[in-house]
Amino acid sequence: MKKFSFYFLLLICVAILASFSSSRNDYIKRIKFPYQKQGLTERQAAAHLLSRFTYGATQSMIDDVVKQGLENWFLQQLNANLPDETLNEKLKSYDILTMSNETILNKFPKKNDVIKMAVTEGVIDKEDLIEIKANKKDSSYKKLLENYMKQKVFLPEQELMRQQINQKILRASYSNNQLLEVMADFWYNHFNISATKNQCLQFIPVYERENIRKNSLNNFEDLLLSTAKSPAMLLYLDNFSSSGTNELFVNFNKRNSNKKQNNNGLNENYARELMELHTLGVDGGYTQSDVTEVARILTGWTIYPLNDYAPGANFKKMLEKFKDKFSEKGFVREGDFLFAANRHDSKEKIVLGRKFKEGGGYEEGVELLKMLATHTSTAKFISKKLAIKFVSDNPPQSLIDKMTQTFLTTKGNIKQVLITMATSSEFWSKDALREKIKSPFELAISAVRILHADIKRPMALNNWITTMGQKIYFYQAPTGFPDNAAYWVNTGALLNRMNFGLAIAANKIAGVKVNLTELNQNKEPESAEKALEIYAKILLPERNITSTIKRVQPLLQEQNLIEKINKSTAKNEENNNLSVDESTDKYNHNSENNFSSFGSNPVFMQVVGVILGSPEFQRR
Amino acid sequence: MSNRRVFLKNSGIALFGIGLGGVPAFVVKAAESFKQEKLYKKPKILLCIFQRGAMDGLMAVTPFTDNYLKSARPNLFIEAGNGNPLIDLDGKYGLHPALKAFEKLFKEKRLAIVHGIGSPNNSRSHFDAQDYMESGTPFSKSTNSGWLNRVVGLMGHEAVTPFRAVSITTSLPRSFYGNNEALAISDLKNFSLQMRGNNVVATNRVSNSLEDLYDDAASSLIKETGKESFQAMKMLQKADIANYTPENNAEYPATALGKSLKQIAQLIKLNVGLEVAFAEHGGWDTHFNQGKEMGTFARSATDLSNSIDAFWNDIEKYQDDVVVMTMTEFGRTVKQNGTGGTDHGRASCNFILGNNVQGGLVHGVIQPLTIENLEDGRDLKVTTDFRTVFDEVATKHLQIKDNGSLFPDWKGNYLGVMPSV
Repeated sequence: MKKFSFYFLLLICVAILASFSSSRNDYIKRIKFPYQKQGLTERQAAAHLLSRFTYGATQSMIDDVVKQGLENWFLQQLNANLPDETLNEKLKSYDILTMSNETILNKFPKKNDVIKMAVTEGVIDKEDLIEIKANKKDSSYKKLLENYMKQKVFLPEQELMRQQINQKILRASYSNNQLLEVMADFWYNHFNISATKNQCLQFIPVYERENIRKNSLNNFEDLLLSTAKSPAMLLYLDNFSSSGTNELFVNFNKRNSNKKQNNNGLNENYARELMELHTLGVDGGYTQSDVTEVARILTGWTIYPLNDYAPGANFKKMLEKFKDKFSEKGFVREGDFLFAANRHDSKEKIVLGRKFKEGGGYEEGVELLKMLATHTSTAKFISKKLAIKFVSDNPPQSLIDKMTQTFLTTKGNIKQVLITMATSSEFWSKDALREKIKSPFELAISAVRILHADIKRPMALNNWITTMGQKIYFYQAPTGFPDNAAYWVNTGALLNRMNFGLAIAANKIAGVKVNLTELNQNKEPESAEKALEIYAKILLPERNITSTIKRVQPLLQEQNLIEKINKSTAKNEENNNLSVDESTDKYNHNSENNFSSFGSNPVFMQVVGVILGSPEFQRR
Repeated sequence: MSNRRVFLKNSGIALFGIGLGGVPAFVVKAAESFKQEKLYKKPKILLCIFQRGAMDGLMAVTPFTDNYLKSARPNLFIEAGNGNPLIDLDGKYGLHPALKAFEKLFKEKRLAIVHGIGSPNNSRSHFDAQDYMESGTPFSKSTNSGWLNRVVGLMGHEAVTPFRAVSITTSLPRSFYGNNEALAISDLKNFSLQMRGNNVVATNRVSNSLEDLYDDAASSLIKETGKESFQAMKMLQKADIANYTPENNAEYPATALGKSLKQIAQLIKLNVGLEVAFAEHGGWDTHFNQGKEMGTFARSATDLSNSIDAFWNDIEKYQDDVVVMTMTEFGRTVKQNGTGGTDHGRASCNFILGNNVQGGLVHGVIQPLTIENLEDGRDLKVTTDFRTVFDEVATKHLQIKDNGSLFPDWKGNYLGVMPSV
């Protein structure tokens, strides 16, 4: 047996090393987690590991991780290439997942653009728009618009949003590559894009898929460059419109100037956030003059015209017709990114003491981003943010220092920084255990995972996440959601968390199916007391449940008392589908759901709901 | 870093365990605190209403003697006088007929208007302009906090209740982002434990279990906040939010805004320590079908003025302590566009209502609308930085002593929309 497991381990190691060897940067030594020194058992350590690097640990996952070896599991997660059949099956009907920005823009146009098109094509009379008299006209106009959308095979923006939100919830709930999803969420929040702004919504699916997720476990530099060139970021932080003067193009610009799109001049938004939020951090040692200089370097970084109907359509035709000529002049196209040389300020710039010579073009922006990505301040800033995400709201400086060191020596290799963190004693310290409060999204997904809930339609779940205080994809500021307990815990939010627990346990969330019977392997607990013990164990794996049981116990005792009173007086409340009688009447007709088994027992639902709403379940 | 309430920590166990019939400890505490700090004064309340989408200030309050405006808006301009629908306020400005409810308040000198108000940043993007207006830093996007959250932090006394800053919205508005605790709730009725079938016995049982669990929580943040949640919940249950009858026969429109303002009125009357309230009003982005006396603009304007009017009547007893201020991200083009609407412009106007406001006046400056006087040859110029007005109203009404960090990059003179303290 021992021999077998040794060979098994060896096999896994070889497999892992083989899979890493494909990319040069990923030389990973054997690692060892120092949890024993911190007084944790292997199972406790596995639970901690899972609670930090997945969207929620379950008993069976802990079994698997212990069997596989904690370190091996972690390395496998860093590799993020486990097959995902269950998830893929669930995502089959989401057609935006394979669409390009261009396809999405043309399929999900903004409502105002649709109206403009309809007017241009004479489907809607301009005069109708002006001489609106009463609501009557509104409805016929709505119908016209609806028909027009059908005829053009346009879909409403809400459908785009629905698919985008749903796929995120499904991935987090069901993906086998959990760490990848956790990291994709972390980086999306770090490089936040808000759907509240203009056309950002249309660019979010590709942004999250191509720019964020694909780079989530690679080099920070690749991630930064990828976001910098993404239409989503260029639009969200306005760099697409930022321009300087370039003497080589004076005549060109005169000829092609468009009244509507006049030269907007320099826009510093992206430059500032690039340093403050994405790389160096607010105390990273840059000045306002650096902001301006960075903005000048990035003038001309814009979005390749994608719309068939937008004002850029003519420019697009020209770019395509004279492709080689433009490229000779220094224009660069990379997918949906365009470096428009004619808008680039080509004079000398100095950033953080480094000179960028006069006459530079696209390449100086790339150089600048690489410089920022590997800067010491960036290493510190990113390391601290990761430590806050995975260790505690106030991570020890010693840990941040170790991670910073790795960041610098590996030039921002994200996997290596995570390994340094996970192999540190600080990560396994008792101070760190269960110190993080789940965000509403994390809470909802962890409940789904621990209950083995089947999500048919995720939207109602999303509404709960919003109610609890996290409207995903809609956080307005480029800072992303704050990552600390104080932000998530307030009176209203806490109450909503309790209600969420009660609702999901009682099968009250539309499109999300929970079966408490199956959760206990189709066995019926002998008594209410037994049920409490069983469910507490299932829902709070490897945690101390004695206090929870003690506090929930009165729920059952009081229950018994009420039951007795009810029986003796034979007084049943009408309209009361939660009355205690229901628990003894298996054929009760009031029940809202279709389970006729004990799984619909309201007391069990209450017990599970209370545990999910308890303080213990809010922690990870 | 977080400026949380401390009263629970200090007052300890005595506060715990109030029954359904008791007065929540924080309400008692709130009353005591205001007695101590403000010499028997009741708290001052500021209600801000954000009109999202950019209200056409030139249609809301029209400089009707301006011929340029008249010719620029053949399908939108409304005449005043001689039985014409525009409500003449002072011989120069006229109120849109759908804002009729404001006429009385203006005549009573309780309603002030500021015209030509806007942002020094000339962005005409809804997102950017709202973001800048709500953060209060028109040239920096990464400001973590919203201006109303900073207002809360500058009031000079500890928060004593979870209802100090309340936004009647599903998620926290940008204005409320920050370290001071603020509550976003779309419906006060939902501030309770929700169980299937509304079984009172079962709900109480579950409630007790949860209350015990939170009392036992290891994290003090969770423990304290949990206590407050239960206290607040019990108090609202007692208040019977769902069966509220407004006073003075106030009739709130059955609209989102009407419902929001009704709930704020309820909170005010519950004396739970509300000091800053926030509501939103959408639908002002009138690119199409803006209409004249009727149409999309008129519908929104009716909703706005009737909701505020109902709110004002409903809270009659509290009027001395309440100021209502509207805001919108920018104004709209002077010229109408090709689809019977107006596009994104620069300056707009806003409304400030309160017994102590320098009302009955249109504050600010609008120059004659000739091409030379327009920004970029098309838009009403911003002559009053929105921070001038926000700062004055918040500072004077809420009696903020040190407002240096409210709008960190702004310095200027007040317009005088509120009397000097």
